[in-house]
Parts: sequence; structure tokens; C-alpha cells
Amino acid sequence: MNIVAITACTAGIAHTYIVAEKLQKAAEELGHNCKVETQGSAGVENELTAEEIANADVVIYAHDIAIRGAERFKGKKVVDVPIGTAMKQPKSLISTIEKKLAAK
Amino acid sequence: MPLADILNKDIIDLEVKGNTKDEVLHYMADVLCANGYINDTDVFVKDIYEREAEGPTGMGAGISIPHGKSLSVLRNGIMIGKTENPIRWESSMSDDGFQDSHLIFLFCVSADEEFAKNHMMLLSELAGKLGNDVRVTRLSQASSKEEIMDLILCEDDELGEVDELLNEEEIVDLDIDF
Repeated sequence: MNIVAITACTAGIAHTYIVAEKLQKAAEELGHNCKVETQGSAGVENELTAEEIANADVVIYAHDIAIRGAERFKGKKVVDVPIGTAMKQPKSLISTIEKKLAAK
Repeated sequence: MPLADILNKDIIDLEVKGNTKDEVLHYMADVLCANGYINDTDVFVKDIYEREAEGPTGMGAGISIPHGKSLSVLRNGIMIGKTENPIRWESSMSDDGFQDSHLIFLFCVSADEEFAKNHMMLLSELAGKLGNDVRVTRLSQASSKEEIMDLILCEDDELGEVDELLNEEEIVDLDIDF
């Protein structure tokens, strides 16, 4: 799968960046392409391009504050989870998405 | 500015005293104050608790990452403390919502966004490094300041291997919809 994701946590200091790394690693380990945009105190980093979004099979929002630029994902399949879910179970998240996408 | 510049041996303490989260946070805030990172421990600790109230900062493997933005901060940085006692801490990783922590990464970040901005790039890079379970496992078991600093600064492919991964995730089906 081609996955794009956005992480955003309340303080924008720690979880945004830890979870970005966890999602990236989990996706690679399970054999998927993944790019994660972080929306935290350091601003928007690793910003997703229009092409990456167009090519994505799924979009993951891992957040507990509002996502900036959500209009970019209109018409895409979006999985919306609290950041804590992606923190605790990044591989389970991606593997469940894979199964559900295959069943659609 | 390289990542190493945000690390400072003076605010790594391998003998953090205290039996509770509150005692440990105050002890660590005192170290930050003594080293000129903050100018008011009470204000700083209060601001840390404000963030704590929004969600758990235990990340498993005996590691906690309390953080918050405070106007008491004079210098952005990260205090690393190894506690002498296991400290009960709210956790996003365990089913009962708590874990025992012995390694605390206390992020010290100014609430003045312009002032914090440059350092935030480094702190975010450092936080990202904690997304690697091999690094987290090795940090949890580290015993010297040098080892802790090396583990933070090294690249992922320089981490080597561990016998058993702490924070190992069992893959299960989640109840998600899209």
C-alpha cells in the first residue's frame, strides 16, 4: 500500500514526532510505502505533496487536535484515530487497514 | 545546529531521588533551575502538569516523556533522569493506564514560540528517535551518561541488536472504520 499520514498532538513536542517515526517503521516492516507529515511545534514538516496524496491508497490521521489542511484529502479513504492508538499499536493499525482495504 | 548541542551532560542525572512522580518532577526541575534552564521550579512543574492532564506521557519500556511549554524556561533543552526507584506513571502503552518508569526525558521548552522555534527542530528530531523500539530498549537499559548520549545521537543502523525488544507489539485487529 501507499500510505500517507499526519500526526498532531496537543503540545506538539513529543508524541507528534515519536508516532511519525513509529508509523513509518511499522509500515516499512509490513512492506508498505509511507510518508508522514508532522504538524507540531516545529511547524509543518515533511509536508505531503499533491502527487503523494493522489497516489495514496489510504490516509491516516493520528491526532488529538485538529488536522491542518484536511481539504487536501477530499475523496480519499481516511482512517482517523487518536494519537494514542498509533503510539501503542502502529503495526496493528496498519495491518488492520490492509485487511479492510483488501475486503472492500 | 547539530542535535548534540541540545544534549548537556550537566542535565543528565543518573541518581534521581524520589518515590513519586511529583517528587521526581520537582527534583528534576531543581536540577534545571540550578543549571540556568528555568527561573521558577513551581511555575515549570505546574506547566508540566498542565500537559500531563491532557494525556499520558509514559511510553512503555520504563520510559516517560513529560513535556510542556513554560514561560519559566530560559534555555530550551532536555533533562534526562534515571530514577533510583520505580515511579508509577500514567501510560499510553498499558491496559491499566499505568507503568513503572525509571528513565525520564523531561522536555524543557519555552512557551515563547519564537524563542523555542529553532530548538524545536532539534527537540522534534530527538523525540522522533524515541520512535525506534531498539533505541528505546537500549536506552531503558543504559547505565552511563555517555551511553545515553551515544544512543540518542547515533543513527538507527548503528543501534545494533537487542536480545529482547521492550515494547514489542502483538499485532491484532483494531476496531477502526473508514
